[in-house]
Amino acid sequence: MHAFILAGGFATRLWPLTEKRAKPLLPLAGKPIITHLVEKIPSGIPITVSTNAAMQDGFKRWLDDVQKSPVGVGSLSRALPRGERPLPIKLVVEGTTKDDHKLGALGSIAQWVETEKIEDDLLILTGDNYLGFSLEEFLKAFTGNPLLAAHDVGDLERAKSFGVVTLKSQGSPLPASAQRALGEGSGEGVLAFSEKPKDPTSTLVSTGCVVIPKNVLPVLRDYAKVKPDNLGGIFEELLRKNIPVDCFTFSGHWMDIGSFHSYLDAHRELVGEQALVDPTASVKDTEMRGSVTVGKNCVIERSELVDCMVFDGVTIRDCTLRDCVIDDGCALQGIDLQKQMLRTGTKLIVH
Amino acid sequence: MRRPLLLILWLFADYFAFLASFALAYFMRVGWIFSTDLPFTHFMSTVALSGLPWLVMLISSRTFGLTRNQRTLRNMIVIVYAAVGGAALVTLTYFFLFQKIFSRMLVLEGAVLCVLATCLAHAAMGYLMRVFLRRGTPVFPTLVIGVTRETRALLHLLRERRSPLVPVAILDAVGVKDTEIEGVPVIGKLNKLEETLADRSITHVIQCSDLEQSINLLSACRARGITYMLLPSVLGIVERDERVESLEGKAVTVVSPEGRWWNLFFR
Repeated sequence: MHAFILAGGFATRLWPLTEKRAKPLLPLAGKPIITHLVEKIPSGIPITVSTNAAMQDGFKRWLDDVQKSPVGVGSLSRALPRGERPLPIKLVVEGTTKDDHKLGALGSIAQWVETEKIEDDLLILTGDNYLGFSLEEFLKAFTGNPLLAAHDVGDLERAKSFGVVTLKSQGSPLPASAQRALGEGSGEGVLAFSEKPKDPTSTLVSTGCVVIPKNVLPVLRDYAKVKPDNLGGIFEELLRKNIPVDCFTFSGHWMDIGSFHSYLDAHRELVGEQALVDPTASVKDTEMRGSVTVGKNCVIERSELVDCMVFDGVTIRDCTLRDCVIDDGCALQGIDLQKQMLRTGTKLIVH
Repeated sequence: MRRPLLLILWLFADYFAFLASFALAYFMRVGWIFSTDLPFTHFMSTVALSGLPWLVMLISSRTFGLTRNQRTLRNMIVIVYAAVGGAALVTLTYFFLFQKIFSRMLVLEGAVLCVLATCLAHAAMGYLMRVFLRRGTPVFPTLVIGVTRETRALLHLLRERRSPLVPVAILDAVGVKDTEIEGVPVIGKLNKLEETLADRSITHVIQCSDLEQSINLLSACRARGITYMLLPSVLGIVERDERVESLEGKAVTVVSPEGRWWNLFFR
C-alpha cells in the first residue's frame, strides 16, 4: 500500500491565508493540517504528497521541519521496529502555478501512477481534511475492493456539496435518522454514488479518504483523462463498470476545511475551550475565551481574544478580536475586529 | 488625460455660461444697446472677475465630482446657491470698483439666467463626460467584489446611467456559477485580486458583499492608490435613504426615521 496525499489545490476561498502557503500547511491546533493527517497513516506505508509548483517551497520546508523533529512524523517513527528509520515522505510537484491550469485531483494521481510506475494499492487522502477516525481501522475494512470512508453529515442540504453514498443495506434511500444509526467502522457495499447531486437521497457523504486497489488503477487512469478533477466521480465510474465498492462509515470528527468558517469550526472542534499559547509568545493582561491559539513570538497585551487563531510574529495591543485569523507578522493596536482574516504583515494601528 | 481635459472644458463652459447669463441680462434690462450709464465693458469686466470665485464656490460643492449625477435636485440646489452668491459678488465687485449700484432686476435676471445656463452646461457636460470616459478603453475601470442581489442592481444601474465607473470584472469570495452579470465577467475568487488590480489597471473597487477579507481588500486598494467603495447593503442597510454624514468630525452612515420634508434640513 502507498499513501498519496492530494495537496495541489490553490485554496482560493481561504485567500489571503493561502496566498503564500497551501491549505494543508495552515496551522490547526498547533500544527499544520497535513501533519494531523500524516500522523494517522500507519507506519510502514510510504507517503507521497502531491502539490503544485507555486506551493512547493512551503511543503519542502514542512518536510524539513517534520524530518528534523525529534519524533519525526508521529506514528511513522513510533511504530517502526527499533533502529529502523521512518519511511521518507516524498513530494511530487505538478508544473502548475495557477488555479486555472491545475491537473485536477485524479489527473495528478494518474500522472504520478504513470510516471512512478506505481503498481500498488493506493490510500488516497485529501490534504485539507481532518479525519477523526483511525486509518488503521479504516484499512482493516479493505478487502480488495475499492473502499471509501463515509460520514453522515445529517443534512440533505449540506450533502449536496459532497459525493453522496447510498449503501446496499439501505436498498432504497433512508431517512437521515436511520443512516445515523449505522455503526462506526462498518464496511458495507455501496449501491450508488453521486457526486454533488442536486437532490441527494442520503446524508452519507464521501470524505476524501479512499483506497483504490492496484487492479482498478487502469480504470482510474482512463477516467482521469476524461474527468481529471473529479475524485468522487471515479466511484460512479467503478459502479458503472460493475466493480464492487465498499464503504467504511464512521461517526467521529471529520472536517473538510474549505472556507474561513469551516477553518474556524475545525479549530473550535479540535482546540475546545482553551488557549494554546506557544511558549515563545508573550501574553499580558489579556483575556482569551473560546478556542484561541497563539503562534511563535507573538506579543499580546491588554486585549480580548475570542475564538481566534493568531499565527507567528503577531503584535496585538488594546484590541478586541472575535472569530479572527491573524496571519504572520501582523500588527494591531486599538482596534476591534470580528470575522476577519488578516493578510501577512497587515498593520492596523489606531492611536 | 481624458478626465482632466474634459474637466477643464467643463470649467470653461461654466465660466462662459456665467458670462453669457449676465451679458444677456444686461441687454434684457438695458435694451440691445451699449449704455453709457452702465458701460458694458465695466459691467462685463466685473462679471468676469466675479466669475472666478463663483467657479470656486461650485468646485467646493463637489458638483464636478466623478460620481456626482448632474440631474439631481441636490445638484440643482447647489447651482442655485452658487448663482445667488455669484450675483451678490457681481453687485459687490461693481460697487467696489466703480462706487455705483445698478438695476436690482439686472442682478435678479442675471442670477436666474445663470441658474438655467449652468444647469444646461452641467447636464451637457455631465453627459459628454460619461460618453467620453466610457468610450474605448474606460478611464475608470472598476472592480466589483461579491455577487449578490445588490451587485446585479448596481451593475444594471451603472450601465443604464452610463456611469463613468465602468465595471470590467467581478471577483467573488466563494465562487459562483455565473460567468457574467450584466455583461461583466466573473473572473474568479479573491485570490486573483492583486493580478486583477494590476492587469486591468483598476481605479475603483466596489465591495458588494460581506467578506472576511474586507480589511485586506482595503489595504490592497490603499497600497495601489485605488478608490474603495462599500455598498451599505453589506452592513444590512437597504433603506435606500442612507447617507454618510459627520458626527463630531467622524464619518457615519445615517438612516433617519421618516418625517416631514423639511426635516431633511434639520435632522
